[in-house]
Amino acid sequence: MTTAVETQREDAPTAASRLRALGGNQLFILAAFMVVLIAFFSLKNSQFFSQSVMENVLNDWSPLVLIAIGETFVVVAGGIDLSVGANIAMSGVVAALLMRRLTLGHHGANLTMLLGVLVAMAVGAIVGFVNALLINKAKLVPFVASLATLGVCKGLAVVWTKGGPVGDAPSNTIPLTISRFGPFSIAMLVVFVVVAVATVLMHLTRFGRYTFAVGSNPFAARAAGINVQRHLTKAYVMCGALAGLAGIIYYLRLQSGSPSTGIGRELDAIAAVVIGGVILTGGVGRVMGAALGTLVLSTVASGLVIIGVPANYRDVVVGVLIALAGIVLGLRATVGKASS
Amino acid sequence: MTTTTTAATPLYEARNISKHYGAVFALDDVSMAIHAGEIVGLVGDNGAGKSTLVKCLSGVHTPDHGTMVLDGVDRHWRSPRDAIEAGIETLYQDSGLASHLSVSANVFLGREKLMPGVLGKLGFLDKKAMDREAHADLERVGIAVPSSNRSIGQLSGGQRQAVAIGRAVAWASKVIILDEPTNHLGARQSGEVLEVIKAAKQNGLGVVFISHTLPHVLQVTDRIVVLRLGRVVRDSPTSEFDAESLLGTITGLIDR
Repeated sequence: MTTAVETQREDAPTAASRLRALGGNQLFILAAFMVVLIAFFSLKNSQFFSQSVMENVLNDWSPLVLIAIGETFVVVAGGIDLSVGANIAMSGVVAALLMRRLTLGHHGANLTMLLGVLVAMAVGAIVGFVNALLINKAKLVPFVASLATLGVCKGLAVVWTKGGPVGDAPSNTIPLTISRFGPFSIAMLVVFVVVAVATVLMHLTRFGRYTFAVGSNPFAARAAGINVQRHLTKAYVMCGALAGLAGIIYYLRLQSGSPSTGIGRELDAIAAVVIGGVILTGGVGRVMGAALGTLVLSTVASGLVIIGVPANYRDVVVGVLIALAGIVLGLRATVGKASS
Repeated sequence: MTTTTTAATPLYEARNISKHYGAVFALDDVSMAIHAGEIVGLVGDNGAGKSTLVKCLSGVHTPDHGTMVLDGVDRHWRSPRDAIEAGIETLYQDSGLASHLSVSANVFLGREKLMPGVLGKLGFLDKKAMDREAHADLERVGIAVPSSNRSIGQLSGGQRQAVAIGRAVAWASKVIILDEPTNHLGARQSGEVLEVIKAAKQNGLGVVFISHTLPHVLQVTDRIVVLRLGRVVRDSPTSEFDAESLLGTITGLIDR
């Protein structure tokens, strides 16, 4: 009556624990690699392990990790969002235009900043919603849908600013980015909170469970009663809103909104999630992996400069890292199969 | 399980269902009925419309014409969720499980258990409870699978099928639709699956059993509905068929 005889033999606790060890392994590999990177750069230049360099790394990391996390949700759900970079530009520019008007109208800096954040995230979310609409209703594949919005956002950011930066930032932009807690600024602390919330959301809640289910097998998800289209919409809207928040983080750092900010960063986000172990076909990934993947990119970027390697080599190194990450993932998949 | 339908009133009915894709009629005025405690075989050649009918019965497709009737009440499924909530569970051929998710995540897919209290309101999953209950549910229907937190992708084809069947049987309260449940299974495992199906019947469920393996159909069903090119060509008690006449009816060599 039962299939117990055959299955329980295979159910040795070692198999399950080995699998869990493998899942943890990917974060372990990344963390170990970070240690190696920091040790390498520090040996080459003792200045590397200093507060100012760490600030540099984190300044690069904090907006990038936001879009990498948004990308993680979208990719785990089986999609892809190429528009996050251009979304940063457009939402940042729209918020900058609003904030300039408010600042010149002598509105309070805090109110101005708050409205700027809300508007940037709202604009970003709208872009995400349009992506979802194109995918769900117009039946475009995610690559094409978000390529289209990439173009629109990139173009509109230039049109609305006539190509130049939008300044006259409120007076509190600098204080928000000054290191107050060790190398950390208030803006960075906000980003840390987002990373923590996203981790919990993805791995402990029903929202995260649906994200994995939709990306793993959309038919099974739908047949189990999950509204797949609505869930995809949520993922793209969240990804867009995070791009908007990233737009504000860049704005704080530059004290202006520029139509060139963020352009091309979608490839960094995708690189970060791939290095972080998120699989582009969906259903697999960890937020912490994407966060560490982004940290690897930012560390490499700063580290190469510090040890005197021309900045253009960064892309070469990143390319090699992507390939390496893919190979490691492939090996892990093979080992995983062998152990089951 | 607490159905009040009498033997005369079908538990679940598809009435005059038509469904076409463009100019192609997948289903043309198809009717079939399932009674409580009855196993109905649904057979037909490839392209006969079995899968389309299954998807209409389970709420995945909305038929162009016709109605679903559950317990004598007309129902219009807007999504699979509607049918699931009405007590209709479906095992889909090959594609019903999310392979990256664990056994218990699949058993509870779409009806996750949340933590008690505030955490639950925030959407936090009660993974331990689901692991425990998934294991118990599968055992209750006579299926023992490896630990609930293993991912489906790590299981053998037979084990996956066992999980899918276990999930359907554990949740169904009225009707269970099984599309090729013995696919990929060896003789012994197939036998076990047929036992699970018979047990579901004993519990008063209506069962739709779709299979290409005609001996299984003849062995386990009470009635057989034969589809050919989108139409019902025969709907008779299983006792009226033997292997030869069933095959002949499916292929059209025997026309009635």
